[in-house]
Amino acid sequence: MSADGWYLYGVVEAPPGPLDVEPDVELVTEGPLAGVTSRVSLDEFGDSALSERLGDAVWLEENIRRHEQVLERVLASTTVLPCRFCTVYRTEADVRRFLSERQDQLTAALAEVSGRVELGVKAFVDPERFAAGGAQENEQIRELTAQTAQAEGGRAYLESRRLERLVGDERARFGQEAASQLHSRLLDAAERGVLLDLQRPELSGRDEEMVLNGAYLVSDRPGFERELAALAAELSSRGLELELTGPWPPYNFVSEELRG
Amino acid sequence: MSSDLRPDLRQQVTLLDLVDRVLNKGVVLSGDITLSVADVDLVYVGLRVLLASVATLEEQGMPVAIGDALR
Repeated sequence: MSADGWYLYGVVEAPPGPLDVEPDVELVTEGPLAGVTSRVSLDEFGDSALSERLGDAVWLEENIRRHEQVLERVLASTTVLPCRFCTVYRTEADVRRFLSERQDQLTAALAEVSGRVELGVKAFVDPERFAAGGAQENEQIRELTAQTAQAEGGRAYLESRRLERLVGDERARFGQEAASQLHSRLLDAAERGVLLDLQRPELSGRDEEMVLNGAYLVSDRPGFERELAALAAELSSRGLELELTGPWPPYNFVSEELRG
Repeated sequence: MSSDLRPDLRQQVTLLDLVDRVLNKGVVLSGDITLSVADVDLVYVGLRVLLASVATLEEQGMPVAIGDALR
């Protein structure tokens, strides 16, 4: 009874060569481009059904992960321009029409990211390690640390509070400085880069303060990762921690004309 | 992964990293598709709130599927 719709995960150059994808993933080829699609039931992905599903967190998580998994398997073999979650067409003809109407923009956008991947880099400052490491480069903090260790009673309390404040200010300054140094050196090792919103601790899942959340479009992965390792080695003794994610389909490097 | 990168630099991708990309970036289309752009925007905002509320559990070392929080 239910009709099928076409879920569009992303767009690749046609023909893309052999892809190792899930059995239900099909290519819809139109001229020099192909859509990576799978047939979905409109009972599940039609507009009224879909609005209901979008309130179902279990369904959402499953399908968000599936969207990314399909794209990552394509990414292993070829460059793919990712579509946003739940891009569903009613017919195959609609998918073809999209590919042909937007052919120039899609081809240009694919060329921009061809042979490149998106890597994510996040940086955090660990307060304890910073207090023992980076903060001690500040003379005033070194002196106050020594004084506080010798002080007693109420004075010890006041001085340790003063020290805490000072270390806090210094940590904020270090975080900003480290973030701008990281971003500029990572940009040099990448084709392009963007700064994403910082994630507050309750969202990042880490207690440490996030100071950098960057996405980089990279063609020389080993070179980029060597630079990242060098930065980690330089900055970790001062309390900085780095995280690398990816390779991602180039979500953050889709040209503006294709962003709705 | 190149071997000279310290293994602790590579982290498990969080659901937030995924949500920030899959729901907020990529090619955004309007027109013949079944769902409006505004609908997905709303879901994105809602999911970020939901993720913040389950983060406490994850901090305690429990990997939580976002759906579990609603059961």
